[in-house]
Amino acid sequence: MIQHIDDAKCVGCGVCVQKCPLDTIRLNEQGKAFIAYPDDCMTCFVCERLCPAGAIFVHPFKEKLPPVFPGPRYDAVEGNDLRDKEVYHA
Amino acid sequence: MPDRNTHIVESDLLIIGGGSAGLWAAKRFTELLPEKKVVIVDKGPKEWGGLMSMAGGDFDAVLPGDDLDAWIEDFVYYFDGLCDQEQIEEILRRSNDRLEDYQRYGCEFFRKEDGTLKSIPQRGLPHVKLYPAKLVGRGGEDMVRNLVKQLRKANVTSLGRIVVTDLLKQNGRVVGAVGFDSISGDFYRFRAQVVIASTGVGGWKTSYGKNTPTGEGVEMVWNAGVRLKDFEFSRVWNMPRYFGWEGQTKLIPLGAHFVNAKGEPFMEKYSPVLGVNTDPHFITIAMAMEIRAGRGPIYFDISRINPDDLILLRPQNGWQLMNYEKLCKLGMDLFRDNTEWLPQMTISYGGMEAGIKGTTNVEGLFAAGTARSTEPGVYAGGFALMTTSVTGHLAGEGAAEFLASASPVESDRVDEDIDALRDAVYAPLGREGLTPHDVLRKIQTAMFPYDVSILKTEASLTRALDEIVRIREEEIPNMAAADPHYLLKLREIRGMALVSELYLRASLERRESRAGHFREDFPNRAEDGLAWILIQKDENGAMSFSRKRVPLERYRHPITRYYQDNFRFVTEEH
Repeated sequence: MIQHIDDAKCVGCGVCVQKCPLDTIRLNEQGKAFIAYPDDCMTCFVCERLCPAGAIFVHPFKEKLPPVFPGPRYDAVEGNDLRDKEVYHA
Repeated sequence: MPDRNTHIVESDLLIIGGGSAGLWAAKRFTELLPEKKVVIVDKGPKEWGGLMSMAGGDFDAVLPGDDLDAWIEDFVYYFDGLCDQEQIEEILRRSNDRLEDYQRYGCEFFRKEDGTLKSIPQRGLPHVKLYPAKLVGRGGEDMVRNLVKQLRKANVTSLGRIVVTDLLKQNGRVVGAVGFDSISGDFYRFRAQVVIASTGVGGWKTSYGKNTPTGEGVEMVWNAGVRLKDFEFSRVWNMPRYFGWEGQTKLIPLGAHFVNAKGEPFMEKYSPVLGVNTDPHFITIAMAMEIRAGRGPIYFDISRINPDDLILLRPQNGWQLMNYEKLCKLGMDLFRDNTEWLPQMTISYGGMEAGIKGTTNVEGLFAAGTARSTEPGVYAGGFALMTTSVTGHLAGEGAAEFLASASPVESDRVDEDIDALRDAVYAPLGREGLTPHDVLRKIQTAMFPYDVSILKTEASLTRALDEIVRIREEEIPNMAAADPHYLLKLREIRGMALVSELYLRASLERRESRAGHFREDFPNRAEDGLAWILIQKDENGAMSFSRKRVPLERYRHPITRYYQDNFRFVTEEH
């Protein structure tokens, strides 16, 4: 999922805004890109790859989805998933 | 509601959906009728190429000298007889033309030292094979770029970020459509002599290229009275639990396999003949059985792959390389570490019933790509890029032939009340209500459980259907959108709810197991199962089901064996 756009690095070219398939990113009033619709990111990396300034960071983990299997191993409760652990979000 | 601009867009051919099929339809149509105006409209970015932009670039093709009949027989076997033999024959016959077109437009495929194309066999089938793109990780992007260049030369107009909601007809013939811009909120009215729907399939937003095929195109054609088929089939795919990965299709034939929590390979137990080298749908059934029996989680083991083959597998560029490098930093090197994988329902296989050149039961509307159903829930690697290019090309040809014989229409007057359609589109904007994301999560929660998506039973399908009907009645009408972006999401979730209901009802209707449809309560084929389940909206808006028998007496290839007979799924300790 997209995690961060560095305001200081963003040059406001708008390429990420144009190319995001899900319209996740928009330009703010200062002409800088920001994550407008974070829930819609599908982790395709298009924005990070096309950013000429290296301002965007997309984490490779996808979003949590409702479980396919029952039981604590697969349940979407906090704590049983790597995405809950800080070390994977450094 | 603020005043919204209305734009009128005129063309001879309107193509709804700018992925592989839509682009190919435009290419073929402009070759045949270069003076005619073509407009492609897509809900995503202008000229992004749809899901093709994220594809690896693997392409199935029957090369000159290959035995076409042998390929058809492979598919009759692989589809457990539920194969439209005339359709698959025409698709396969034209597959090499599209592969050659791609190479002429500048796409490169992997070649062996002797200069011939490298092929990879698929699913343990004797003849079906794919040809991988030269650049692992960027093949689909290259295809989009090169095809778009061709269309620019042909003066095709492309519009992005516009979602089409409704088709317009005149005396029953489709003559246009309406939709809105998901950024500005502006209203669009399209006028056309003929329309191609290449809107893709429905699906359940499971990340990595599966967040855009949601089913608003299915709702659009459903409301226009188009006959649908194959909705009992969905793609259940093995996916890493935490991240996306493209290319298991190539990893498995070269030696990768799944193991359970004890480190035991298990596919040989369920299929002594094919073992792991089989269709992912059957692997997911085995995975679900292993996990249910307490032997999960399931890991993907790549250690047996011959190092010489790694060049075909390790991402070299594109999003797949970036993904791979980031995962390695997290200690998740797919080529070194065992990674946890899960089965995940991703997209629907249901689509429009169409003739060879994309004709539907609605005059003036042609179907292309995955929006028209071509396979019963099993998936050979490389099949989608092949079928979408060929069926797009065929629909472009069909639309051109239609224009040659159909009388021109002045599409000012249409059967629909455009003001009413417009009011309905914008009604959720700015009101209080449920967010599309809340409803999305409820639909996913109902649909994802393994006994709904993989090991289906009457009880579990009925349980899910009750919930989806409740969502349709109580939640869908009460969704709200804060802005035009969310209005698009809202349309997607409506489509997803419709696709979910079509899937559940069709799955209940097919009381047998065949190809990609596994009913644990009916694990064998039924005598009357060799028929497609068709669904159409009746005059009350309800789902009307009928069966169309597979016309074996007309076909050249008898059914001599069944792919599913390679498997023995025995319910245990359950």
